[in-house]
Amino acid sequence: MTDNPHSDLHRRGFLRGAALGVGAVGAVAGGATVLAGSAATAATPSATSPAAPARRKAGFHGVHQAGIVEDVQLSTAFLSLDVTAADRRELTELLHTVTERARFLTSGGTPAALGITDSPSDSGTLGPQVPGDGLTVTAGVGASLFDGRFGLADRKPLRLTRMPAFDDDDLDEAWCHGDLSLQLSAPHADTVLHALRDIARNTRGGMQVRWRMDGFTSPPRPSGTPRNHLGFKDGTANPEVADPAVADHLVWVGAGAEPAWTAGGSYQVVRLIRMLVEFWDRVSITEQERMLGRTRDTGAPLDGSHEFDTPKFSQDPAGDVIPLDSHIRLANPRTAKTENSRLLRRGYNYDRGMDSNGNLDMGLVFVCYQQDLERQFAAVQQRLAGEPMVDYISPFGGGYFYALPGVRDRTDWLGRALLA
Amino acid sequence: MSAEPDGIEPPHPPSSSRTHLVRRWQAAAAVVVVAAAVTATVLAAGSGGGSPRTDAKATAPADGLRHTAVEVSTGTCGRGWSRPQAGTQVFDLHNTSGTASEVDLTDPRTGRIFGEVEGLAPGTTRPMTVDLGSGSYAFKCLQDDTDAVTGPTVVVAGRQPQGPAAAPVNQHDLIPPTLAYQKWVGQRIGELAAGTGTLKADIDRGDLAAARRDWLPAHLVYERMGAAYDTFGDADAAINGTVARTPGAVDDPDFAGFHRIEYGLWHGESAASLRAPAAALDSAVRTLRDGWSEARMDPAAMGLRAHEIIENAEQFELTARTDYGSGTNLATARANVDGTRAILGQLRSLLVPRDAGLAKLDAALDRTQAALDAQQHGGTWTPVDRLTHAQRQQINADFGDLLEQLAPVAAIFEVRRTA
Ligand code: HEM
Repeated sequence: MTDNPHSDLHRRGFLRGAALGVGAVGAVAGGATVLAGSAATAATPSATSPAAPARRKAGFHGVHQAGIVEDVQLSTAFLSLDVTAADRRELTELLHTVTERARFLTSGGTPAALGITDSPSDSGTLGPQVPGDGLTVTAGVGASLFDGRFGLADRKPLRLTRMPAFDDDDLDEAWCHGDLSLQLSAPHADTVLHALRDIARNTRGGMQVRWRMDGFTSPPRPSGTPRNHLGFKDGTANPEVADPAVADHLVWVGAGAEPAWTAGGSYQVVRLIRMLVEFWDRVSITEQERMLGRTRDTGAPLDGSHEFDTPKFSQDPAGDVIPLDSHIRLANPRTAKTENSRLLRRGYNYDRGMDSNGNLDMGLVFVCYQQDLERQFAAVQQRLAGEPMVDYISPFGGGYFYALPGVRDRTDWLGRALLA
Repeated sequence: MSAEPDGIEPPHPPSSSRTHLVRRWQAAAAVVVVAAAVTATVLAAGSGGGSPRTDAKATAPADGLRHTAVEVSTGTCGRGWSRPQAGTQVFDLHNTSGTASEVDLTDPRTGRIFGEVEGLAPGTTRPMTVDLGSGSYAFKCLQDDTDAVTGPTVVVAGRQPQGPAAAPVNQHDLIPPTLAYQKWVGQRIGELAAGTGTLKADIDRGDLAAARRDWLPAHLVYERMGAAYDTFGDADAAINGTVARTPGAVDDPDFAGFHRIEYGLWHGESAASLRAPAAALDSAVRTLRDGWSEARMDPAAMGLRAHEIIENAEQFELTARTDYGSGTNLATARANVDGTRAILGQLRSLLVPRDAGLAKLDAALDRTQAALDAQQHGGTWTPVDRLTHAQRQQINADFGDLLEQLAPVAAIFEVRRTA
């Protein structure tokens, strides 16, 4: 099956004129849409290792975007972008193009053959056939997209604001906010970079990267949830979003006070959090574990023996075993009152060289999804204000975005409900 | 070089019909080397590859595409393609002759090319991936020192839209635009000599304020001639050279030309110390002007230059790499846009029937030009590092898009043998 690279939009448009490739056999099974995000394809909490070969594959088409409830992958690039498209028509063309590229890149296939009319349509970094390779492309919109430029002011998701600075934050404007977010995740770094290069090439006139942070997930050491740079398993306790009732309660925005177009989307928060790993390494293990509330070796809560044991805060009201100001206890006190502030974390480690003082520049690309920014992320972040761990971390960037509803089928595109 | 009556380099012999041109900046030289290495790898892989298949066979290999084995030789050019079908597909071209060959898949009625493989070595097989719609096709085999041979015409039935194709451009097609461009450059050099003369006079009489004022217009004249620098040879370094970023490099006695003078004018150097560089610049320009009627531009470089002027502007002006104090990189980039328009203007009639994206290219040029013009206020240009974030993003976006629209120009104007 060959897609038509010469749609009307492209002929009059200002972007490269995305030359689509030929879908891989089977991958583009016509309109046979698998609705990603339905119970069948959703992830269970990440007890499964991200390196496990039989990972759940997210289809590109669905009521929700892929890359949200699915397990974290081994490699990711998180991008914030400024839209340079001049008006609403160009923004529409831009999102059409992003959709077409994402559909091709996630499904795989043969890049378009352009003959002698142009340089090759594909960078070739994945070889002559683009493998798909489990790539997910997740797109979001920031509050600034709803300013005057595109006539969208009355369509802003209710809770979407510019990310505020929280206590303990040290925000660098150059690493904050953005009109759009784009997260590319795959089992291999080359797949992520290939997708980044392809999407950038086809959208240069319409958007420019504002900031970019690449991330990775470590293999399980020795088992269970992968560890972050503090040496602790990170991602253990997450809501059971495989259960649609839980996902609909905590992750997806449905009917309600929100503008109708938002249905099937989710609020996305990204926080770039530097970890002062040298300092951390000079802290005793007891103190480290009391800061987190979990055992470093096993990931078990301090009142349990196995990683997935449930902490029983009610039996330890004074915090003798799990301190009251420990990270997990503040983040999720596990009370009826705080139940609906739970959120879905999808964080990645980052590592980007050295700091001017000779220290390693590494940390966490904290990404989380929720139905309501205030009720969930902001509430949790406020509870964490002043936690003992703040001395060893420094949030310096990130933003609030709204992850768009899914692309339902081959005729649909990212942002259709918003812009149409 | 012996001057031809038409004032143009003689056409390359067929064996070197597709010269790899040395690009303007050192960084590009590495690109050419890499490209050569890749070609070598492909050849090696191809020569190790499979046995010749002589009968028409459409197998289903790992790529999921339809494959057809096709023979390449003067006697059997195109043999093997007997069951034509539309769609993206691969022809595995096998050279059964004893001579390297170029292979084109053409529409024999219009001459438009849908796919090409260059330098297919004897005994080797290489793939040609093409996107075919309904229409008539024929393989064309072009061996060195032999007339081109066109194989049997094959018809793909039905009403499928055709994939991308363009008519080839040969050396002959490019001679008139090259001559016209060469003449245009000659006029610019005259203008340039007037500018460097003024600059030299300013410095000679010690009027550095006037020199700072007159430096930019003279420099911009040079920056509008971007497609000619290769032909200028060593004069380019004498007129517009830069130096390494290592400390003290600006003191290198070989540092000459506009940027040397710029450095002095914006770093408090005395008029006395700039007299020699100004005289040297002016004399280099006059020498260039006096010899220009003897110069011969290479027609094969025209399309490449039309693309690369803006590549260089993005690499060296938008990064301020070539700023030696005046902060006028955006003015230079703007002159480079003019220079691109000048060469595209000469190529336009050849481009119109070949580049389906020409309207977008025109729009991208206008957009880029407008974004740059917005940074000029009463003759003063915003230095690159003073752009606001939004302005910077817009200029980056416009250049990025313009470059994507220019890439086809270089591809289309690769000189091809047609007979
Ligand atoms: C560099 C910064 C951070 C580090 C090193 C960190 C580390 C951890 C670790 C080791 C755990 C325990 C294992 C697990 O359940 O995943 C955890 C849990 C958790 N963290 Fe963080 N975290 C950081 C930032 C944040 C932020 C910014 C938030 C939200 C505002 C957050 C919210 C949570 C939540 C909700 C849990 C699960 C608590 C539970 O349900 O038991 N964390 N974190």
